[in-house]
Amino acid sequence: MTAPLLEVNDLCIARAGQEVVSGVSFALQSGSDTAVIGPNGAGKSTLVQALVGLLPHHGGTIRLLGHTLPRSGRLPRAIRDQVAYLPQKLLIDGRFPLSVSEFVRLGCSPRCHHREAVSAALERLQVSHLRRRLLSELSGGELQRVLLAFCTVHPRKLLVFDEPRTGLDPQAAVQLQELLQQLRLQEGLTILQITHDLSMVRRSSDWVLCLNRALCCQGPPEHTLSREELERLYGRDYVLYEHSHHH
Amino acid sequence: MAPELISSLSLWQEPFMQRALIGGVISGILGGWVGSIAVLRQLSFFAEALGQASLLGISLALLLGLSPPVLLWPFALGFAWLLRELLKRSSLSADALLSLMCSGALALSVVLLSSLPGARLSLQQLLFGDILGIAWVDLLPLALLLVVTLAYGVISRRAQILISIDPVLARSRGVAVETHRMILLGLLALVVAASIKAVGVLLISGFVVIPACVARLLSRSFNVYVLLAAGIGAFSAVLGLFGSAVFNQPSGPMVVLVQALLFVMALLAGRWVAQTTTAASVDRAR
Repeated sequence: MTAPLLEVNDLCIARAGQEVVSGVSFALQSGSDTAVIGPNGAGKSTLVQALVGLLPHHGGTIRLLGHTLPRSGRLPRAIRDQVAYLPQKLLIDGRFPLSVSEFVRLGCSPRCHHREAVSAALERLQVSHLRRRLLSELSGGELQRVLLAFCTVHPRKLLVFDEPRTGLDPQAAVQLQELLQQLRLQEGLTILQITHDLSMVRRSSDWVLCLNRALCCQGPPEHTLSREELERLYGRDYVLYEHSHHH
Repeated sequence: MAPELISSLSLWQEPFMQRALIGGVISGILGGWVGSIAVLRQLSFFAEALGQASLLGISLALLLGLSPPVLLWPFALGFAWLLRELLKRSSLSADALLSLMCSGALALSVVLLSSLPGARLSLQQLLFGDILGIAWVDLLPLALLLVVTLAYGVISRRAQILISIDPVLARSRGVAVETHRMILLGLLALVVAASIKAVGVLLISGFVVIPACVARLLSRSFNVYVLLAAGIGAFSAVLGLFGSAVFNQPSGPMVVLVQALLFVMALLAGRWVAQTTTAASVDRAR
């Protein structure tokens, strides 16, 4: 078995002097699609931000692509180029003077051939026709595709998303997930995404991390999304609500 | 040709007019560039606060018997740093804090200026600018600031765009967000301090912000936006100076008036283009 792409051991993260995530351990295999689920305030965004070097950690280890990350959280350049992260709720200001192709080009590394790489990324995400549009003129679904093009214009190994389907209608959310799966299979990408969409997790993810400041459980969706585990993670009320909606 | 126009054309041969023209063009380019980024970062009111604080810097310089430019640049930098620290640490909202600092600085500087004998005479020049009084020695630091600002603009282009879109996204791509924020605020402070001579304390925020607003209405790419903002800054400085000579009006208001007129024209042109495009697409649909 090959070494995991990401290996986290006993990770502890504090924000403003308070421990937000503690004792988290898991591993991501290359090419996997892992979902992080949990209630609001569970430390999901904090966890993924520490994994991509945006936050320091004060305990445990993070081993990403064969390198142990420093506790200060800063990723070395060679690692950073192989990881893409999209934060939650990216709001583009009205009439922000930036065209789609200019934006996607910003995702290029200094060494890549910009024009060809941008055209290929836009083609792959089926947004070539939007290249001259302003970012602020895109619909939610179009913007998410363009953001994916930004993330993948340079070859990456790991994509990390914080609730990528927020604000999308169900059809756009399904289309985005299909595109992600296509990218994963074609480019061999590993995906780690925070989500509240449990039906999507059931359909597409092959590993689930259930987080509520510490890991409550982890495993394939058929085990982690059982009624007992969800009750443990979200409380009894949530599970009753979901149950009544499905029937 | 009208006699006023002939006399104003002959004025351009005067060294003081040539100095004013060079100073105006440099200030216009500087204001346009720094304003284009400041507007994207929603720092327009910050420029206003820095402008009013500059009056305090000038008052303090006069009180201490120093030449105003000697104290103004370091004072503007220090005030920008103070504002940034207060915004980071205070529980007050940014607009309330900036309003407080603006009013406080203006009130203190008026009290200081009133206590200085003979200083009231120059209050109009401070408030509305006196670009005709610019000396060759004033142009050298202005030119140096232009070189530094443009070089930084080219080097930091990617960082400026990413920070303006989302600071967290920028950090994930390796951008040193805090460093670039501090440099931008420093440059904004220096550009405001350097342009006070041209447009005065009261109009400085308009001078920095309006070219960016015009360019934003007309641009569909970042490069065009920044270049257009700098170009509009320079063009309005030339036209404003010309208007100032023809109509015998203070230079600052004339420059900002030209900018405001350009904004109205851009707004109307934008609406006309949008209406024409909509009408054409309706026709095609039929």
